[in-house]
Amino acid sequence: MSATDSTQRDFSAIVAKVEPEARKLLAGYPPGNERSALLPILHAFQNVEGWVSPEAMARTAEWVGVPVSVVESTASFYTLFHRAPVGRYMLTPCRNLSCIINGAGSIMAHFREKLGIGHNQTTEDGLFSYEEAECLAACDRAPCMQVNLQFFYDLTTEKVDTMLQAMRDGTFEVAPLPQSVAPGPDWHVASATALRSAGAQGVSDPNDPGGMGDKSGLSMIERLIKDPRPIEARPTHERLVTDGAAVASYAENSNGTGGSH
Amino acid sequence: MPVVKVLTEGIGEVDLRDIAVYQKRGGYEQWKRAVTEMKPADVADITMKSGLRGRGGAGFPTGRKWSFLPNNGRPRYMVCNCDEAEPGTFKDHMLLEETPHLVLEGILLGTYAIGSKHAFIYIRGEFEHGYRIFSAALAQAREAGFVGQGLFGTDLGIEVTVHRGAGAYICGEETALLNSLEGRRGEPRLKPPFPAVKGLYGEPTVVNNVETLATLPFLLKNGPEWFAKVGPEKSPGYKIVSVSGHVKKPGNFEVPLGTPLRELLELAGGPRDGRKIVAVQPGGGSSACLFEEHLDLPYDFDTMAANGTMLGSGAVVFFDDSTNFVEAALALVRFYAHESCGQCTPCREGGHWLEVTLERIMHGGGLDSDIDMLVAVSHQLTGINLCPLGDSIEPFLASVVKRFEAQFRAYVRKPEAAPAAVSA
Repeated sequence: MSATDSTQRDFSAIVAKVEPEARKLLAGYPPGNERSALLPILHAFQNVEGWVSPEAMARTAEWVGVPVSVVESTASFYTLFHRAPVGRYMLTPCRNLSCIINGAGSIMAHFREKLGIGHNQTTEDGLFSYEEAECLAACDRAPCMQVNLQFFYDLTTEKVDTMLQAMRDGTFEVAPLPQSVAPGPDWHVASATALRSAGAQGVSDPNDPGGMGDKSGLSMIERLIKDPRPIEARPTHERLVTDGAAVASYAENSNGTGGSH
Repeated sequence: MPVVKVLTEGIGEVDLRDIAVYQKRGGYEQWKRAVTEMKPADVADITMKSGLRGRGGAGFPTGRKWSFLPNNGRPRYMVCNCDEAEPGTFKDHMLLEETPHLVLEGILLGTYAIGSKHAFIYIRGEFEHGYRIFSAALAQAREAGFVGQGLFGTDLGIEVTVHRGAGAYICGEETALLNSLEGRRGEPRLKPPFPAVKGLYGEPTVVNNVETLATLPFLLKNGPEWFAKVGPEKSPGYKIVSVSGHVKKPGNFEVPLGTPLRELLELAGGPRDGRKIVAVQPGGGSSACLFEEHLDLPYDFDTMAANGTMLGSGAVVFFDDSTNFVEAALALVRFYAHESCGQCTPCREGGHWLEVTLERIMHGGGLDSDIDMLVAVSHQLTGINLCPLGDSIEPFLASVVKRFEAQFRAYVRKPEAAPAAVSA
């Protein structure tokens, strides 16, 4: 993938920028606990590069004294670390409770329409990345958002338009993110096999109730409809579906591709 | 109106980020007094006597939490939890950005009280602005000799390390926070051992909320009785309440505990014109809803618990009769599904299942049985996880499904004709 090809840049210059800060960060923890500086050092790399590159993770691993796989595993847990390049402006409107009951839905719809991209995607020109965020702790000024982690409050669609225009014009009050490598259409890093492995979230799915290989859930629905036993006598996990006819009509009308992830 | 100014004193009036301004108003005097005139046990004693309960969510008495530390001669750590991310809560955000020196003085006093030499503040990754403000305040305080070695001419030394998280709600859970602070995935640990016995780096550790620690300078200044006599006996003191949702003037309001919910609503400007409040979530995203008949209840830890919900982090969200509770429930369920660390199957799979089911209902594919399934699944996944995240799904969801069942059913029967609001 050329989008994440990070071999074309001068990584040593990036290291030169990050290393003094990393040394300071490492000194902030009791001796023998250098691993504590793992997150702060990744932040430092992301501040310089705009993302957390494989080289940055390898260097972090070296500095804190753990295998690279440990850094990758840790980084992958945290949504703020982008393990693939992102746009110059990371737009993150809040989609949580106080914002959603105060019109965040229309703000998000507006962003999607104006940018032509969805949740966790980057525009083709590499200018905008878009992610619908969870509660940003600014519920008194809902709907709110962050742009490159700086807060913007009391959003309206007009305000959003003005902000986007300023970003396009290069006059926006928040500095664009560095971008050491051009971004791809999203910054998702995970193999298809990993997503399907046992225990990965989404193996069970109400839109795929039969589980793996039963994409529409039809075999389970058929079993339910044809099962002559009363609901109470059925296996526990099937008792919850009590309306066989409705299930059948849903199955007919649904295209069978459920899931939200 | 019962609004008071204790922790919030001066916010919005003067620049408390400037150490000179903070000191002019008595800042760091209690810190100096503690180090030069008091023993750590005195500070702990005052805290115990004040009846202060943790302001982060669990409401555990702070003095008692400290008393669990074993006297084993091992190094101890104080960790200030500024990973504020409970839906509806925005008080620590304000304290961090507006009065960072008060937060720091509180951290120092807490660290001193438990006999620790090293404190950490774990700041939510999204609070980059607050992180910079606090770091600057810390540098000022270090230069002034309030942090570091040889404090006030004694041989006492206390170090403070600022640590930024990276976007994970679960790190607000104290053992997940400790893992994250150690450079690990933010997955909660099995308890016991509790952090007081085996916490950061395996050593005795106390994790306290920002607001809890920021209260300490006032306890020292005014004495424990000043605090203990305010509000209900077992739930005393002042509390910053974050009020949001369908109100005219949302914001943080510092009030005595025991203030009725209706007064909080009035402080926040009351309901929007022509609307009436039909529900209130009194303790953050993890708490069950109360309804219009509960508005006269006093807002304190025990009254909320007695009514099947909780005070939690002090986040109060009001809902008026325009609310689409299916959408509201989806927002919260999606949040918990998204933030599940994935260790425990009921939370990981159950949250996801509920999210997809609610989405199906929202988009017209719902079944009548889905409504019962929402209640059943959220109940079944509760109480069987390592930490309270999974258990946080049921309260709001079940309470609004029960109360506004017609709205959910209407969605299922004929989505395009479903009332968008309770009143419709």
